[in-house]
Amino acid sequence: MSARSIPLVLPCATRRRLLHSLAAGACAVLAAPLRAAPQPVVVLTSYPDEVVSRIEAAFEKAHPGQRLQVVWRMPHDALPYLRQPGQGGVDVYWTASPRNFATLKAEGAWRSLDGLGVDRHGLPAVLGNTPLSDPDGQYLATEMAGYGFAVNPGALARRGVPLPGDWEDLADPRLAGALALPIPARVGFAPVMVEIVLQAYGWERGWALWSEIAGNAVLIDRGSTFVADEVAAGRVAVGLSIDFFAAAAVANGAPLRFLYPRHGGVNPGQIAVTAGAPNPAGAKVFVEFVLSPVGQAILADPDIRKLPVRPAAYASLPADYPNLFELAAAGGYGFDGRLAQPRLGLTAAAFQQQLVVPHAEVAALWRRIHAAEAKPPVGEAARAVAAARRALGAAPLSEIEAADETLRRRFRSRVEGADATALEDVEEQWRRRAAARRAEAARLLAEAGA
Amino acid sequence: MTRHPRRNLRGTVALLAAALATLGAAGVHRLAGAAAAGDDGPYTTADATREAYGRPFATLDEAGRPAFFRGRSLFRQSWVVAPAQDAEVDGLGPLYNRLACLSCHPKNGRGQAPAGPDERMQSMLVRLSVPGSGPHGGPKPHPAYGDQLNEEGIPGVPGEGRAAVHWEEEAVALGDGEVVRLRRPRLEFRDLAYGPLDGVLTSPRVGQAVFGLGLLDAVPDRELARMAREAKPDGVGGRVNRVWDAQRGRTVAGRFGWKANMPSLRQQIAGAMAGDLGITSDLFPAANCTPAQAACRAAPNGGTPELSGAQLDAIETYLARLAAPRPRPREGGERGAALFAAAGCPACHRPRLMTGATVAGARHGIPAGTAFAPYTDLLVHDMGDGLADGRPDFAASGREWRTAPLWGLGLQALVNGHTYLLHDGRARNATEAILWHGGEARIARDRFAAMARADRAALLAFLYSL
Repeated sequence: MSARSIPLVLPCATRRRLLHSLAAGACAVLAAPLRAAPQPVVVLTSYPDEVVSRIEAAFEKAHPGQRLQVVWRMPHDALPYLRQPGQGGVDVYWTASPRNFATLKAEGAWRSLDGLGVDRHGLPAVLGNTPLSDPDGQYLATEMAGYGFAVNPGALARRGVPLPGDWEDLADPRLAGALALPIPARVGFAPVMVEIVLQAYGWERGWALWSEIAGNAVLIDRGSTFVADEVAAGRVAVGLSIDFFAAAAVANGAPLRFLYPRHGGVNPGQIAVTAGAPNPAGAKVFVEFVLSPVGQAILADPDIRKLPVRPAAYASLPADYPNLFELAAAGGYGFDGRLAQPRLGLTAAAFQQQLVVPHAEVAALWRRIHAAEAKPPVGEAARAVAAARRALGAAPLSEIEAADETLRRRFRSRVEGADATALEDVEEQWRRRAAARRAEAARLLAEAGA
Repeated sequence: MTRHPRRNLRGTVALLAAALATLGAAGVHRLAGAAAAGDDGPYTTADATREAYGRPFATLDEAGRPAFFRGRSLFRQSWVVAPAQDAEVDGLGPLYNRLACLSCHPKNGRGQAPAGPDERMQSMLVRLSVPGSGPHGGPKPHPAYGDQLNEEGIPGVPGEGRAAVHWEEEAVALGDGEVVRLRRPRLEFRDLAYGPLDGVLTSPRVGQAVFGLGLLDAVPDRELARMAREAKPDGVGGRVNRVWDAQRGRTVAGRFGWKANMPSLRQQIAGAMAGDLGITSDLFPAANCTPAQAACRAAPNGGTPELSGAQLDAIETYLARLAAPRPRPREGGERGAALFAAAGCPACHRPRLMTGATVAGARHGIPAGTAFAPYTDLLVHDMGDGLADGRPDFAASGREWRTAPLWGLGLQALVNGHTYLLHDGRARNATEAILWHGGEARIARDRFAAMARADRAALLAFLYSL
């Protein structure tokens, strides 16, 4: 049979020529009788397009009668939106901001998911010491993400540094300039990371460790490069990250690994239905879809790579897919997000004044300390270097000060994407205190001849 | 019986292929264009992972990286309803299609059409117009719906409706008896919020890949004109679309978009921001509301304009500096390159273009005289009835389409998870895309259809090596 025996059939074009149809673009255009669009399920979220698009497509495919309307806002911007009269017409809030869910629960923003008939069976309430879902059933976790280290094994090997197993390994002087650190006050996921270390190592030791880690670090700002990109390209050997960024990069071919530290931490993404939801029935359908096997399976998409909250979902995932339920069962997940939430903004702001604003100076001083310790010093010089280390690692404020509710309230809106407008007086105070300690460390190092 | 050509196509192809084989690899590549046009230069990337469409030029230095990353961040940004605390990224809509640029250009690659009428358009939209010319000679917008169906509206502003896609299949037989099923879309409009869409011209479009755009932007207008004038075999013509340049306020050569209806990368970006996201800019300062859309006109905006000049600069910097994937050797690809040439494909899918001393090239840091291999001529060609949308766009008729670049084609399945091609995503693979070619490309299409199965496979191997 030759190519000429069956011509390419062009029924639409023929029809178009015959009818001189104006609706030529796609063969023919039908217009369904005019009718109102179905009432949408309005979902407020800050998830990236990779998550939103896939869930949206799968949801509407699974429920052809439903429409999703996505309103996108970062968590700090979502709070005022949900505090509007009528809660902005939002039916569902779905994002990774436990603080917002807890804050809005206290304001009576949610309706009971139990009351709506959402089935919580098979959904653990906690992971380690971290609550995943509201014990009163007003919001439920839909996914999780763990904190840890994106590493480039080759770059580490070139520096003679073993794979880091916990946070203190990041203070290794051989990692100077080879560690990517997202700025906590600027990058949405990073404030929790600060708190994981403070809880795991204690307030004083935690701040000292952060100072030394920051001294090794290259800072990563919002809207700039990605931590995983820096690690994969070998510009740094380690990047502090939340797992899905690194795992998605790995799934996309990046030559890196993600390691969960011994002192781990998890941040759950959660979902709630607003008290004033215009479409509670649709909201329930959406919540149940996100928690369904189909919705949970979408989390494993190579461009998403988040962790399902339904343990049963792991049975269908690859054997090497991270399972934080198993890690937590083995210990190490003592981080309590509830304790961290009220002071996230405060510690991120203190971190900013202590370690980010004067970062070049901090890094230079740690290089001098590490160089002096490498010799190592003796006598007065040793005492001076040790004193310099203490000065540089001193906490910007005490844990008692950080517990002050008034102070915490002043910084509550500072994280998860919010920009600071003017510095608070207490920040000026931290800045001056940190500068004095750096000057002291420099003086001590000079005394030690370092 | 097919209408053309009347000669023995299979014999012609066999002779041409045999002749080309005697040229050796270098000669074949010259004819097919492979490896002869800066394939391994700093404006290409050897990355063959799922991130292959997102790599910068190797010339991007430390000083240039921040702007590139700012642009990437904006390209990925989901835009926010105004007013918002995130004032830099508010102003979505009031009417729009998707939240982010990335939505229609997933992983900087190609979008796709819905699989059926119950799936929503995620990386596809429908252009609208009515007969006649609009301002500056472009399409005349529909009086109630404008020039594009915006399926979404911000809260309080009804979206314009939904376009559902029904697929109709038909069979076509190839020279060796193999039967290929082709599908064409039939649109159905649902839930129209602003009255009937009577008398409308429609054109469904999927998002295009966005790498290598700086190189295409830096080809001089005079080179486009020269290529249009050049004599070509097989009745191939090709015209430069003449379109409105909003920045310069005059009609110039078009080069971006499915019908080359945009003159520059900058205007292409600003046009998509306005049309797809409802984000105003200095180039397109008006909100996308028609007089019939009262709620849209009353909605708050995110500033005047909503996209600042600096933000537009950043997105342009990002897209202009996205490297094109390098061809990757593939078994049979070399013979396929010869067959690609013998079939006449390079008459339009030009393997070698050259940048000139242009303003765009200077902006993008691309020197004049840089050769590259996009496999397009940036001209519009009559592609026949099968692909015609019947919707003129500036000087491009309803049968004309810009030659689609073929670079990066072989990585599409990996990056985007599908192999769909053509303006409305109807072709499920390269074979179907070729078989849809008509008009000026009919002879080349028929040569492909007449090839032996092994030759078709070799030609496809070449395409997928790009």
